[in-house]
Amino acid sequence: MFLAPALIGFTAFVVYPLFRSAYFALTTYNGLTDPKFVGLDNFRRMFTTDPSFWPSVRATLLLVVLYVPLSLIIGLALAVFCNQRMRGVGLLRTLCYLPVVLPVVATITLWKFVFNPQVGLANQVLHWLHLPTSEWLSGDDSAMPSIVIVMLWSVGSTMIIFLAALQAVPTELYEAARLDGAGSRTVFFRITLPLISPIMILQVVLQMVTALQAFNQPKILSPDNQGGPGFSTRTLMLSIYDNGFPRLGQVSQFGYASAQVWVLFLVIVVVIAATARFSSIWTYSDHVS
Amino acid sequence: MKRWIRCAAVLLSAGGLLATAACGGSSGKQSDGKVTVTLMTWESAATNKAIDQALTGFHDPNITVRRVDTPNGNYSDKLAALTQAKKLPDLFWCGNDTEQQYTSQGLLTDWASRLSDSSDFGASSFVSSTMKNWKTADGKIGGVPSLLNTYGIWYDIDAFKAAGITVPAAGWTWDQMFDAAAKLHAKGAKYGLVADALTSTDGPFSLSTYALSAGGKPFADNVHQPTKTTIDSTYTEGVGKVVAGIKSGAIAPPGYDISNQQGLFAAGQIPMLWSGQWLAAGFLTDKPKIKYGFAPLPQVTKPATLYDAVGICTPSYTQNADATFKVLKYLDSTVWTKVLPDSPVAAPAYLSSQSAYFGALDKAGQTTVAATVKAGLNTPTTIGVRFTTQWASQSNDLITAYWPDILNGKKPLSDLQTMTDKINDVIKNNS
Repeated sequence: MFLAPALIGFTAFVVYPLFRSAYFALTTYNGLTDPKFVGLDNFRRMFTTDPSFWPSVRATLLLVVLYVPLSLIIGLALAVFCNQRMRGVGLLRTLCYLPVVLPVVATITLWKFVFNPQVGLANQVLHWLHLPTSEWLSGDDSAMPSIVIVMLWSVGSTMIIFLAALQAVPTELYEAARLDGAGSRTVFFRITLPLISPIMILQVVLQMVTALQAFNQPKILSPDNQGGPGFSTRTLMLSIYDNGFPRLGQVSQFGYASAQVWVLFLVIVVVIAATARFSSIWTYSDHVS
Repeated sequence: MKRWIRCAAVLLSAGGLLATAACGGSSGKQSDGKVTVTLMTWESAATNKAIDQALTGFHDPNITVRRVDTPNGNYSDKLAALTQAKKLPDLFWCGNDTEQQYTSQGLLTDWASRLSDSSDFGASSFVSSTMKNWKTADGKIGGVPSLLNTYGIWYDIDAFKAAGITVPAAGWTWDQMFDAAAKLHAKGAKYGLVADALTSTDGPFSLSTYALSAGGKPFADNVHQPTKTTIDSTYTEGVGKVVAGIKSGAIAPPGYDISNQQGLFAAGQIPMLWSGQWLAAGFLTDKPKIKYGFAPLPQVTKPATLYDAVGICTPSYTQNADATFKVLKYLDSTVWTKVLPDSPVAAPAYLSSQSAYFGALDKAGQTTVAATVKAGLNTPTTIGVRFTTQWASQSNDLITAYWPDILNGKKPLSDLQTMTDKINDVIKNNS
């Protein structure tokens, strides 16, 4: 009885769409006429004839490769910095976390202005410093790194989890290390890092999923809002959206988009499973009391 | 058991309430016997306000017009949702592509018989090319064209003077445009010409105007029911000139961010801009400091231009076609005569309403805009701006895979043929 509302909601908004999208993945469905069963044609098209699929896979993987390590390194560095006992550390933590609570679309739109090659702040700063300017979001090679920069703007969420992990490390371990004459670097790599490694694994998984599902930044930042220039910032998520909800005047390809959703789902499952499988190699698993 | 049944009933009732609350409106009879005709536009808040104001002049004791609010940025999403839910309003703004696709699926009311019967609102009352383009292959007209876009080149008069170049005018050539772009670039402009229409996915269609003007074949034989895409020698020649212009820095490359191109043009940072007549309305409001003009698209030997019209469509399940058609007629004729004088955004397709648009341009001193729009409307050789077919997004992906790289010189011109071969495969698979 008490479970009914939750069960109904879960069935209506999770289970039913899941099975429905699995069915659509095997059909051609444009939202205007009834779905037509085509078996595995959508998957065949995806892997063989669709000129945008492999570039979107490449763009997604590039985003993962660039974003995940940087977010972990910067997030951890900020957490270490914010874990010091010093005046104003509360304000510093607040400043680091502030971008996370700001409206996402508004901040991304502001970044679009910053990166405008003609009148943007980024190029103006480079110009003042007598450094070569960049095409940023308009350049084939610079578009994805620019998007990664914007995604790193919200690294405060990574920082806050690392900060909690750092504060859980027993202080007596640090004191013992200091008595043994260990330097800061040794303490960090021999004590801090092993003890927060389970959290590191969690963060790797979370950041990978974030990168694999990146949508807002490429959608808003790309010059044509469709992952341009060319396919350079067209992530899988953006590809799915554009096939399902194309620009005005184009017909939806819900069937094909559903097939892409399932491919993305399988990719995420494989990535998480692989991360979990190999995590034991470099995770310190003794319980910290 | 009883409690379970009661709970289930409550939940079902709540669900039912939610479902009906989410419904849009379609024409229906009110309790007083009046018919309500619903309307949805993609216009800005200001234009919607002007339309609402103009609609107060619609007097019919049996009809009430109600506009459904839509955030204009999300129009396509809302349209898709309402289409699937079969909750489209009686009248909704649509592009030629939407009209063609929806009509072919039997989703729209066919106005063909009414438009041929009506004396003052028949097919002949509209710019002839638009009615031709809004007819489907089997002669249906699922929507009525409302406004026409005319494409041309906006130019900064002072920049041209400073570079010692004659300002563009009707009859100017593509070579003159490329030459001007190079000189303007040499004079300090980041790019002499910004032409997203040439470098985006619509590029192959826009460049057809070069081939057509030179007596060659357009990229697509028809944008509504294409049988093939073609790349001939004149077309390749035109692409080659654009490639050279991009390489030299005279023309903005693919990927150039056009989000604030209007502002940059008004600020004197873009000396030549390929765009549409709709910028004029914004310039009248913002009053740029530069002196500017609007010229027709360049030609090789004869004028050729792009065709692009938007209109108003009606779903097949509208409950009162007579009332809806009355409102449609008023919208497409009278409303524009009241809205366009304050915001001359485009020429109406309905011939009798055009004087309001051109009058507004003349009054504002926009003589080059008026002349270019008239020239565009009277150019017999035209090509649609993009495919209007169900599979258009598939061909767009192929264009994206080849076109920008060809223009940037990363792929050879011979890849134009590869691109068209692949698009022809898509056409064949979908025909």
